[in-house]
Amino acid sequence: MKIGVIGWELPPAFSGGLGIHTINIFSILNRMASITLYVPDVPGLNEKYPFKVHKVGLNYMAKNHEHTDGHNKKMESYYNGNLKFEDKIRIYNKNVIKAVDPEVDAIHCHDWITFRAGIKLKKKYGIPMVATVHSTEIDRSGNFFPQKHIMDIEREGMEIADKIIAVSDYTKKIIVNNYGIADKKIEVIYNGLDPNFIGMEPKDYGLQKSVLYFGRVTTQKGPYFFLEAAKKTISKMPGIKFIIVGTGDLINQMKKDAENFGIVKNVVFTGFVHLQEKLYYYRNSDIFVLPAVSEPFGMSVIEAMSTGTPAIISNTTGVGESLRNVFKCDFWDTDYISEYIIGILKYRGLRETMGINGQIEAKGFTWDKSAIKTMEVYNSIVG
Amino acid sequence: MPEIGNEHDYFWDSKNMEIFKRISENSYIPATKILLENEIKATFSFSGTMIEQANEYCPEVIDVFREYFKSGLGEILDETYYHSLAFLLDKDEFINQINEHKNMVKRTFGIVPKNFRNTELIYSNYIGDIVSSLGYGTILAEGTDKLGKSPNFLYKAESGINLLLRNYRLSDDISFRFSNQSWNEFPLAADKYANWIKQTPGDFINIFMDYETFGEHQSKETGIFEFLKYLPVEFSKNNINFLNVNEANNFEGHGKISVKDPISWADTNRDLSPWLGNPMQREAFGKIRSMKDNKNKKLWRYLQASDHLYYMSTGDQSDQEVHEYFNPYKSPYNAFLYFMNIINDFESTQW
Repeated sequence: MKIGVIGWELPPAFSGGLGIHTINIFSILNRMASITLYVPDVPGLNEKYPFKVHKVGLNYMAKNHEHTDGHNKKMESYYNGNLKFEDKIRIYNKNVIKAVDPEVDAIHCHDWITFRAGIKLKKKYGIPMVATVHSTEIDRSGNFFPQKHIMDIEREGMEIADKIIAVSDYTKKIIVNNYGIADKKIEVIYNGLDPNFIGMEPKDYGLQKSVLYFGRVTTQKGPYFFLEAAKKTISKMPGIKFIIVGTGDLINQMKKDAENFGIVKNVVFTGFVHLQEKLYYYRNSDIFVLPAVSEPFGMSVIEAMSTGTPAIISNTTGVGESLRNVFKCDFWDTDYISEYIIGILKYRGLRETMGINGQIEAKGFTWDKSAIKTMEVYNSIVG
Repeated sequence: MPEIGNEHDYFWDSKNMEIFKRISENSYIPATKILLENEIKATFSFSGTMIEQANEYCPEVIDVFREYFKSGLGEILDETYYHSLAFLLDKDEFINQINEHKNMVKRTFGIVPKNFRNTELIYSNYIGDIVSSLGYGTILAEGTDKLGKSPNFLYKAESGINLLLRNYRLSDDISFRFSNQSWNEFPLAADKYANWIKQTPGDFINIFMDYETFGEHQSKETGIFEFLKYLPVEFSKNNINFLNVNEANNFEGHGKISVKDPISWADTNRDLSPWLGNPMQREAFGKIRSMKDNKNKKLWRYLQASDHLYYMSTGDQSDQEVHEYFNPYKSPYNAFLYFMNIINDFESTQW
């Protein structure tokens, strides 16, 4: 079976959630099917991958527009460069349509950024289409002014797809309720744990007096609620540090909020960090908190748990639906979040029990399982 | 969450009432009426806490039981008043709670128990020794595979007290598997069950279970009450007699059994792990232990109910599902936090 996968991010050029998903799942799927992954040709990609990679140029329009500065057309990356994000997507999709081998048995798209090409290929050649939904516009906007033109692309892709893969039941419900898609067309397939997080040593549960936020600093992930819970915690336990690892469009606002809350001394902003530091923060914190407003899956939750660190997450975090060894509450309920933080800090027995059980539970999310289920989806649409 | 434990208000009264009333109506009252009407013998063990709740929320339960015991069909065992793990705290505390229970049974039903069962059928030589020294004739224990003995005979403990071992297969056939449609013996009717008993070698079979099996864990829609009603009919066809604990003492002993580490009837491991298996439970229990000089003994003893620790259990998946069925807080971690809030308030109060 030949599958043409239309991707977007691919490590090491960029290691967002989609990139991690792509490299892990298709490395395994390539043993069961013949995978060709189409990704934008950006700097930083490897020469070789465990599956075929077809790099698609992003530079056509850039050439027409300017280049008086002799700008290297290879320098367009995913999110930086001369082109606007949405223009890049448009160009990429256009170029993918030309690049894809029409003989493939199915195309597999990932999120709206690749849907236009999928829709066109399905219409043009009648190739069956699978669409994985890693996140929707509803999630990314925190359900706060979602952009209609993006939702339109999402809806069209979902409607035309033969099968949709949702990364959680939570996301499946959004697809049914906000996009009007029939639920029998949607399979829930969870993400796995990145191999970098497998086989962690058991942790020492001595108190480190540090609480971690890890992720993009955007409305979607609820950093404001993290700070509000921090404020409530600090009023009872003044010596605790709250660490925000990651960056995003709300970073300056968060720095201001920390000031307004009078907790600047307790809050640390590290900015973006790479894998080794990421591991360090996960492991050397007492608690990981993700008060996401709407998080389709929440890879960081199982990453943190795999290092032995207990997690507090919002009810609107997809992965939570199948986790027992976490605290869950509403993202806005910072009384609860703070109550949970204080409990975990206060009781070593609680830290240890949640941590040890959570570490075992996180290991249950494997890419092997995700790949096998995805293969079943391919089989169901390829006649 | 922040409310519970504040201002010394430790009891979730609304939940206690809701659960107690529901179970009384589903189980205690109808099941006991069936026992009486069909002349079925049974031996009971009630915690003092349970009797207090019955008096408060549904006194009819007490009336129904009084009537049953007046008939002479029933027997009552002693246990710790607070359904606790007091044997782990200290010997005197354990004995105090047993005596308090004895007084409660005498007061409520006019009966003085001769035999004993410890909380959740927890048993060890140490427990047997203490209970024997108090003059009880028999103690109940789990017939776990580890013992390597048939549960269908009478044994003696090191101290000389009689030991009755639960036949967990035939007990669980009713309490766990009765309504399980994927069980290859489903559906279980009284004639089939009587036949199994008849074919089982031994002097008697010890069928011990939660009384809530009848009408609550197995709802009346499963046919559990019909099963119960037909048992005496099918038993008499097969010459099987109902026995109370005290009557089992008349059989010949089949040697001594020694149990060093405590065994129980719960979870797969049949040990103390459902209550003390994880660090969180041990921390909570350690806290209880550290407060034994607290002036408010009554409250301290309520806090010892083994259920509090049971709700904090994080065993394997299948055990976990059983725990969650019973856990009003759903999550073991929430159960721990509520409990510790209360403990902290209790500890910092000048009673």
